[in-house]
Amino acid sequence: MAIGVKVMERPTGDVSYIRATLKGMALTFKHMFQARVTLQYPEVRSSDDWRIATRWRGTHRMLTDEQGRSKCVACGLCPQICPANCIKLVPGEDEAGNRYPLIYEIDEFRCVFCGYCQEVCPEEAIHVGVHYENAEYSRDRFVYDLERLSAQVHPVSTLWDPTDPRGE
Amino acid sequence: MTTESVSVTIDGLSVSVPKGTSIIEAAKHAGVLVPHYCYHPSLPSPAVCRMCLVEIEKFPKLVPACVTPIVEGQVIHVHSPAAIKAREGVLEFLLINHPLDCPVCDQAGECELQDFVFQEGQAASRYGDYPKRYNPVEDFGPDILYVANRCILCTRCVRFMDHVAEEPVLNVSERGDRAYIGIDPSATLDHEWAGNVVDLCPVGSLVSKDFLHKARAWDLDKHASICPGCTQGCNITVDTRDDVVVRLRPRANLEVNRHFICDTGRRDYRWMNRGDRVDAPVVADAAGRRTVAWPAALTHVAETVANASGSVVVLSGGRASVESIGWVLRLVDGANATAAMHVPLGEERAIGAVPNLALRRERAANLAGAEMLGMTADWATAVHAASSAAVVIVLDAELTDDEAAAVARAKSVLHFATVADPRLGASAILPITTMVEEQGVYVNRDGRAQRFLPAKPAPGMAWPAWRIAAEAWALGAEGREAPGTASAAFTALEPFAGLTHRDLGFTGRVVAGAGVSA
Repeated sequence: MAIGVKVMERPTGDVSYIRATLKGMALTFKHMFQARVTLQYPEVRSSDDWRIATRWRGTHRMLTDEQGRSKCVACGLCPQICPANCIKLVPGEDEAGNRYPLIYEIDEFRCVFCGYCQEVCPEEAIHVGVHYENAEYSRDRFVYDLERLSAQVHPVSTLWDPTDPRGE
Repeated sequence: MTTESVSVTIDGLSVSVPKGTSIIEAAKHAGVLVPHYCYHPSLPSPAVCRMCLVEIEKFPKLVPACVTPIVEGQVIHVHSPAAIKAREGVLEFLLINHPLDCPVCDQAGECELQDFVFQEGQAASRYGDYPKRYNPVEDFGPDILYVANRCILCTRCVRFMDHVAEEPVLNVSERGDRAYIGIDPSATLDHEWAGNVVDLCPVGSLVSKDFLHKARAWDLDKHASICPGCTQGCNITVDTRDDVVVRLRPRANLEVNRHFICDTGRRDYRWMNRGDRVDAPVVADAAGRRTVAWPAALTHVAETVANASGSVVVLSGGRASVESIGWVLRLVDGANATAAMHVPLGEERAIGAVPNLALRRERAANLAGAEMLGMTADWATAVHAASSAAVVIVLDAELTDDEAAAVARAKSVLHFATVADPRLGASAILPITTMVEEQGVYVNRDGRAQRFLPAKPAPGMAWPAWRIAAEAWALGAEGREAPGTASAAFTALEPFAGLTHRDLGFTGRVVAGAGVSA
C-alpha cells in the first residue's frame, strides 16, 4: 500500500541557498575594505581605540615608601572588610616601634576583586591593579606574599569615583 | 533606713532612682548613655572632661551629669540641640591635637573617642594643616606605655593611682594645651594593680606592652569567665583571637572586684594556650600501654575504683571546678578517701581603697568550693597518704618531683590530665579540659558561686573532668545516670542542690555554708 505523500509547492526563489550564500559573501568582502578592529593579542595589547579601563580591578599591588618598605601599617581593616576572607595579616613591630605586617598574604584565587581593600586602606597601601595576565604554573603561586605584592609594577585601579560616576 | 527615691524625666523617659544619684547614673537607669570620659563608676568624679554636659529645664547653663545629683521633678535633656552642640565643641577641642593613629592604635575599635566622635562629632576639622603637638612615647612601667599624643587628659589613671591604688605616682604635668600625664621620675608604674589604668584609659594613650599590636579589637571574641588565680574570684573577660587567648580583662562585678583585676591575674593566661596537651585517653594495663576510645577508658576507671582494696586519695589542682571536684569525689564515694587541693601560697597584695579586694595568699580559685565538697587544703597529709593508697586520682595538679615519687608508689594512679606527667606511672591518662574550655563554677572566699564560660575549643577528645567522673560513676552500678550538662552536674551536688547555672547569673550568688578555713 503506497503511502500518500503531500508534496509542497516550494517558492524556489525564496528558499534557494544561492541567494543567501551571495549575501554572506558580500558581507565578508565588504569587511575586507573596512578598518580592522581585531587586536592582535598578545603582540598588541592596546590601541588608540581600546585600552583597559583605569577602573579595572585586577590582582593586587602593595605600594611602598621612599625606602622601599611597604606602606602597610597592619591596621587590620582589609582582612576585616574582605568579603572573600582572602587576606591574611599578622602584625608586628619593628626596631623603631612602628607597626608593620609580619605576614601579609592575599589568596588571589579566593579574591573576588571587589576593591574594598583599596577603598578601606587608611594608608593607601594595598591596591587592586589594572592587570589581567596572571597565568602561573602552579596553584600555590596565586597566594601573593608581601614581597610579591610590593614587587608588582602595574598601574593601580582608580576605582569608581562617585563624583564622576561614568568615568569621564 | 529607707532610701528616698526621686523621679526625674530624662530624654522623655521618667525614672525613679535613689536620692543623691548623679544624673549620669540615673540616665543609665533610663537606658540613655551620656557621653563621658573622666567619669568612671569606681573613681571619684572631678568633672574635668566636660563631655557629659546635659541640659536641665529651668537651669541657666548646661551642667556636668557626672557630679550633679538629681532633684525631684527635673526634666533633663541629654540630646537637646544645646547639649549636642556643647559636646561637639568639646570633641573638636580634643581632636585638635589628637593624632590620626587609629590604624596603628591598639584601642581602635574599643575607643571612646572614636565612638563619640562617630556618634556626635563634626564631620570635618576646621583646623586645617596646623602641626599637632608632639610628645614622645614614655615607658611607665613593666607593662605600660604612655602615648602622650593620644591622651585626652581625662585623668582617670591619675585618680586611680591616687584614690584607689593609693600609690600616687601619676599627675598632670604642665598646663593648658601642653599638659600631659607625668610620672614621678623616681617611680615606675609597677603597683600590683597598676595594669587597670590601661583598661580605664578611654583612648589608646595607656597601652599594655604585652598586648601591643597583638590583635585588633574587632578580631577578639570575648567570653565571661572567672580569674583562676586566687580565692578572690575576680570576674574577668577572656579575649581570644582565632581560639588563642590573647588577654584577660576585668569584668565589672561590684560585689567582688568592682572594675579591677590585679596584674598577676592579668598576666596569667599563657598556660591556657599550651600546645603540649593530652588529647586522647591512654590506658596502661596487662595488655600494654595504648591509646583507647572513651568507653574503654571509662570502663578502666570504673573497674580501678571498684576494685580498690585500700584507701583512695584525690589530689586536685587549684583550678578544678566544683563540678569536677564534686563528681570525682562521688566517683570514689564509699571508699576510704582522702581529698586535698593544692593551694600555692603567695603574698597578699591589696588594692588599697577597695574593701575586701586583694590578690589573696591562697592562689587557688576554687578552694572554698573544694572545702564545701569535703576537700581540705592539707596537701602534705594527702600526698603522704597517696604513697600507700590503692588508688590515687590526680586531678590536674602540678606536683614536685618528691610528690610525684610519692604518688607513683600508689597501687594505681588515674591521672585526669591536661598535660601528661610521665613521673606518675599512671594506669590511665584521661584528657580533661581546662577552665577556659569548659563551663563550670568556682566558689570564692566569700562563698560566692560564680560561673565561667568556655572561651576556646577543647583539644582532641578531651572532656571536662566531671563528665569523665560521672560517666565512670554511672558504670559502677545499675540505674545510675550521668548528668548531661555542666549545669545538671552542678545541681546534682549536695551543697548546691536546687541551684542551676542560670540561677547564678553573671555576677554569681552567695551560697550558704561556705567559708575558707586556710
